[in-house]
Amino acid sequence: MSAKQNQRPASKQGSGVVGQPLNRVDGRLKVTGGARFAAEFPHDQMAYAVLIGSTIANGRIKGFDTSAAKRVPGVLAIITHENAPKLRPVATNPAEGDAAGRRVPLQSPVIYYHGQYIAVVVAETLEQTQQAAALVRVSYDEQPPAADMERERGKAYPPKGKVAGKPADTMRGNTDTGLAAANVRVDEIYRTPTEHHNPMEPHATIAVWDGDKLTIYDATQYTYGVRHAMATTFGVPEENVRCICKFTGGAFGCKGTVWSHVSLAAAAARVARRPVKLVTTRQQMFSNMGHRAETEQHVVLGATRAGKLTAIVHEGLSHTSTFDEYVEPFSKATHMLYACDNFKASQRLVALNVGTPTYMRAPGETSGMFALESALDELAYKLNLDPIQLRLVNYADTDPDTKLPWSTKLLKECYRTGAEHFGWARRKPAPRSMRDGRYLLGLGMATAVYPVNHFPSSARVRIQSDGSAIVESSTHDLGTGTYTVLTQIACETLGLPPERVEVIIGDTNLPKAMVSGGSSTVMSVGSSVQGAARAALAKLVETARADTRSPLYGASADQIVASDGRLALKSNDARGETYRDTLARAGMKEVEGSYDTEFNDKEKKFSSHAFGAQFAEVRVDPDFGEVRVTRFTGVFDIGRVMNMKTGQSQMKGGIIMGIGMALMEETVLDTNSGRLVNRDLAEYHVPVHADVPQLDVVLLENFDEHASPIGAKGAGEIGIVGAAAAVANAVYHATGVRVRELPITLDKLLGKGALA
Amino acid sequence: MRAYLPDYELRAPRSLTDALALLAREPGGWRAFAGGTDLMVLLEAGLLTHRKFLSIWHLPELKGIEVANDHVTLGALTTYTEVQRDETMRREFPLLGAAARETGGIAIQNRGTLGGNIVNASPAADSPPALLVYDAELELVSTRGTRLLPYREFHTGYKQMNMQSDELLTRIRLPRTTGDLKTYYRKVGTRKAQAISKVCFAAGARMNDGRIADVRLALGSVAPTVVRCTQTEELLRNQTIDEATTKAAREMLMTEITPIDDMRSTADYRLNVAANLLADFLRQLKHT
Repeated sequence: MSAKQNQRPASKQGSGVVGQPLNRVDGRLKVTGGARFAAEFPHDQMAYAVLIGSTIANGRIKGFDTSAAKRVPGVLAIITHENAPKLRPVATNPAEGDAAGRRVPLQSPVIYYHGQYIAVVVAETLEQTQQAAALVRVSYDEQPPAADMERERGKAYPPKGKVAGKPADTMRGNTDTGLAAANVRVDEIYRTPTEHHNPMEPHATIAVWDGDKLTIYDATQYTYGVRHAMATTFGVPEENVRCICKFTGGAFGCKGTVWSHVSLAAAAARVARRPVKLVTTRQQMFSNMGHRAETEQHVVLGATRAGKLTAIVHEGLSHTSTFDEYVEPFSKATHMLYACDNFKASQRLVALNVGTPTYMRAPGETSGMFALESALDELAYKLNLDPIQLRLVNYADTDPDTKLPWSTKLLKECYRTGAEHFGWARRKPAPRSMRDGRYLLGLGMATAVYPVNHFPSSARVRIQSDGSAIVESSTHDLGTGTYTVLTQIACETLGLPPERVEVIIGDTNLPKAMVSGGSSTVMSVGSSVQGAARAALAKLVETARADTRSPLYGASADQIVASDGRLALKSNDARGETYRDTLARAGMKEVEGSYDTEFNDKEKKFSSHAFGAQFAEVRVDPDFGEVRVTRFTGVFDIGRVMNMKTGQSQMKGGIIMGIGMALMEETVLDTNSGRLVNRDLAEYHVPVHADVPQLDVVLLENFDEHASPIGAKGAGEIGIVGAAAAVANAVYHATGVRVRELPITLDKLLGKGALA
Repeated sequence: MRAYLPDYELRAPRSLTDALALLAREPGGWRAFAGGTDLMVLLEAGLLTHRKFLSIWHLPELKGIEVANDHVTLGALTTYTEVQRDETMRREFPLLGAAARETGGIAIQNRGTLGGNIVNASPAADSPPALLVYDAELELVSTRGTRLLPYREFHTGYKQMNMQSDELLTRIRLPRTTGDLKTYYRKVGTRKAQAISKVCFAAGARMNDGRIADVRLALGSVAPTVVRCTQTEELLRNQTIDEATTKAAREMLMTEITPIDDMRSTADYRLNVAANLLADFLRQLKHT
């Protein structure tokens, strides 16, 4: 299906701001400090909670000595498993957007991982709380931890649950036959390390009890999820819990789960009978809020001399915790990306004494596409075929997994546009064939793909008697631009300028939206906002048509259009009136429209994915092994682009994270003690500004009506997919050294000599 | 976890004399606190075991860059930003400016001091290799008097220093004999800024009639202390730069340093890159 066929018919309604690079409507609040994050809501009588983490990674607590801690002035409570209130477990419900990791805190003396919360201290001031926490003495029975995937591989086991909705072992066709028929093979192991999300804003919770009612301010991707978890944990009705989150300072998946500090904040507030503020430390975030699991991936590709894939095998290991199961679904995209009759996927888990891993930006695709797209690159060299050509030879015209047609797929355009923008034609095919002075130069590419995930969601739109409008939903702005994009969607339908629309989100008192994860928010909530805006406008139109004093009295609804805050006849703009006039005359304060977006995915007729092509140029210092990304082009088909600026920023953020993944990000676990060695931003390296070149991002024009009523396919995650592989492939092209274990650090590249 | 602030004592003496008197009265009881860029990190992590500190940040005797005929004297409180801005430093001691530019971010450069970088005694610090190349001397003062010590003799082991508990590092003296050195500074790291170096290399040399008349080589992150590689220097002196010399120098350098495997890199990598840095320096020296 081409872009043209899918273009949205031009609308006469609205000011047409959708797609425009509107500056963030919350930008001023952000830069002036007016945007209030979870830890920034003041309360009278606020007390402070500090969490104490285990200093061992495996074993049991023998006992606590809290005598010195209790003597610190201002201490209100020291809660351990010996005196904690009973907290009920919350059932994991993937349909509700819950991740794993629901071990109930402080209910037993068992230690599963280093940094696990073993006590909460509450005191009048933060300093008193920290002091008391530092004085709590703990004795342990320590056992050696399982902290090395390599050492534990003998205990690998099949996941109990599914892997991204599919069985852990799947076969399409027969890969043995396929490999036997192959002229050329790639058979390699690829490894990705544990990585952490590291949003700027730490996880933070303020809990305020009023009898059996709980108000909770939380840094989250899912306000209703927090509400559900707290209601279950404390055995109160859901309607007794209100969760508020006006801004989230980055999340990337780690704020999609209600981790145990949230219930501990609420428990602390209940025990201390005070509002309690709990802000976690960066170190605690490394231990307790999930991470991208380490993977070891075996990829086997078989192909004919012409490059046609005859078999794909994608199998391997990832780690989970000893008390819970999370599968990093690295084989997810391999099911559907390339046309190949013979495909086998298999995933196994190794349990380690670490906190449970979780979703991190494009879980599955990010690790898996590093392996698959590196293997494709290796195959291209073996076949002496251009890497883009190899991908075109295996281009899937329908989904090879589900056999469904694509809703829309502009991947060929992504390759073509990307190659043009990037200057792919300049690339000499042989590795180590390009130089920039003394530096080795390399160009590499990779495909990006991410599925459409949309969730049922609700929104309300109220057109006010002053002619403005209010948009409401419980959804979240993770720094992604939700406020801005929802404003634009409402403006388009209501025919109002952005300054006349106010978006209110992040509160369970508002209509329910699901977790802001899986790149779903704009598709899901945006569609509801459009529906609610249409419903509100229809009521306004009815009010005008029914009013004998209105210039629109008696006109048929389909003859009336809305623009610039007015209703008027399509045929005669002079015959009309402002919203304000319509409502004032009718004596109405407002008209309200609500909309619940439902997606019928049980009877799917299309396979829906966002696509992209990533191109990286690197410059490698032959003497020191330093890799610098000098240029990067990413071209994406994310369906309709709701805001060119925030959309491009999403892609850029993903690409930067991908550069970090390729070259520096790695959480190091001490395999003897089970401690995280580099649990701070001084030693866990993410790219600095100077590491990031000018990023050339192109968003193709498309409208995917099957993905969502507003035509969007999701933008949050696809930017990182394939970015690390593009860099890795460029490094190979520059140096002739294939590093299959991320990150590509200087020492791995240089080995024992020099590249010169 | 962050340390409890009331457990700590910070005094701000009115003058250098008062500061020295306090240090003398309770030897080992008080430690100097300058820009705080290292100490505050420890405080935040709850790892600052010493409890009594002497703020010297405001003492005028420890500030300023003085240019005399035969040397430049830097107060121990000279910040990385001041090093980068000073005209004489830029002209005659470019290695220090290069090191200062690569140290931390802007905020750290505004607050961190050269004296602090020296007495924090990290083998991975950025400015010490440059100071070694310039044959810096340290002025150490106590109530007992003043002594001048070649910086090369200051670090005696990992975090061990030739410094008494009643002494303060007050000034750093650089002889003005190196303005004509061809210099080379390179910090090798994972990313372009704000990374502790895997290997840091500072060098200077003077050619005379196609031969190396003077050469100074210093490295960071390759031994328990920053090191000046005198044996390699010895080997290079009076030599022409050719393949054989370079090879011999590389081999000698690799015996003079003792890098380790750690989270930031491997011993192998550090050895090889140190040698490659030397080769790169010699290559550039030959072509200038």
